[in-house]
Amino acid sequence: MTYTPEEFMAAVIAREVRDGETVAVGTLSPIPAAGVLLARARLAPRATVIIINHEDYWPFHNGSKEFYDFAQRGKFDLFFLSGGQIDQFGNLNLIAIGDHDHPAIRLPGGAGSAMLYYLIRRVILFRGDHTRRTFVERVDCVTSPGSSPPRVIRPGGPWKVVTPLAVLAFNSETKRLELESVHPGVSREQVQQATGFPLVAQREGAVTPPPTDEDLAALRGPIREAVAKVYPVFCRTAFLAA
Amino acid sequence: MPGHIGSDYEKLRPEFKVIADPYSGKDVLLVPAIVPDVSLIHALQADAEGNLLVDEKEDDFLLAQASRVVVASTEEIVDPDALRRAPYGVRLSAIYVTALVPIWGGAHPTACRGRYGIDAAHLEEYLRLARSDTTFRDYLQRYVFDPKDHAAYLAEVGLGGLA
Repeated sequence: MTYTPEEFMAAVIAREVRDGETVAVGTLSPIPAAGVLLARARLAPRATVIIINHEDYWPFHNGSKEFYDFAQRGKFDLFFLSGGQIDQFGNLNLIAIGDHDHPAIRLPGGAGSAMLYYLIRRVILFRGDHTRRTFVERVDCVTSPGSSPPRVIRPGGPWKVVTPLAVLAFNSETKRLELESVHPGVSREQVQQATGFPLVAQREGAVTPPPTDEDLAALRGPIREAVAKVYPVFCRTAFLAA
Repeated sequence: MPGHIGSDYEKLRPEFKVIADPYSGKDVLLVPAIVPDVSLIHALQADAEGNLLVDEKEDDFLLAQASRVVVASTEEIVDPDALRRAPYGVRLSAIYVTALVPIWGGAHPTACRGRYGIDAAHLEEYLRLARSDTTFRDYLQRYVFDPKDHAAYLAEVGLGGLA
């Protein structure tokens, strides 16, 4: 069975959606959009799906303000963020690589991430690549920390990290990312090589289950069509022919 | 503002203050309101009084409420009754609006709901030219400084004759 990394990651994300949950997908998140639509089509039919900028999955009528107000009321169960850098503590950097005042690379900025990362119960981090440039020991700037002291109101935080190589999971006791599973055909050494911090394996030899034929049929048919309404360029290459 | 505490925003933005929430006793971050001197809003439609029809998916309404001066442009001026009958969008009262400019294609190269989509080729050209200061200057010269008016801009981007 062949599949693209995007199809694989969407199937991994789909399995994280629990039936009946309210799940939101923010900007620049085509893989999560495909994943949550796959979940709703196959695994979580009663999930409420919200996709920013999507005419069929955007219930709000008062701009992004209403979305953030909804999040502040604790109404979202699952959300997706990414980072120019992600470190072992689940800290995200969307501000700058290098020194903040003289950056090597200026990143786009955090937008709502420093609020949503605290308030949405489970946040899945995703990256279309898995390299030491991204997965660093410590981020250069903390746009949003992975955990907070008890004095801070923080019902939510990091849950998993999904990449083309592996799934990492956030350990809420140690406040660190650990290796949950490697994707088929990927070795643990390969993942460690691509990660700038030591990865403890939660379970030796765990392999991420690949998408099923039914998953792939759904992704390449109706889901590709729905995702293309917001991400036409992504959809040109992310899915194999139906 | 919920969240943010413990992030570098605390260092980078000294005007953000952490206080104890008087209700829960937990730490919360205070952020001063942004009050823009001027905001520019492109409306789907407007009437001659300056009442606007804006896209309810965008933050134009909030922006108008926050700003000292609001300069609106619009695709077309219509009868006040037509604004009330619009199938989508929200009406923003003229009491927020300082000035109004009718300008067809005013959202180009981005999209205007119900009118036209994004001009992907132009945005790709912009992205390419914005990569260096020199080529970005070329972009500004060609599309911003040289066109003598909006009609000339539309002609330059290949939409001449449609206005």
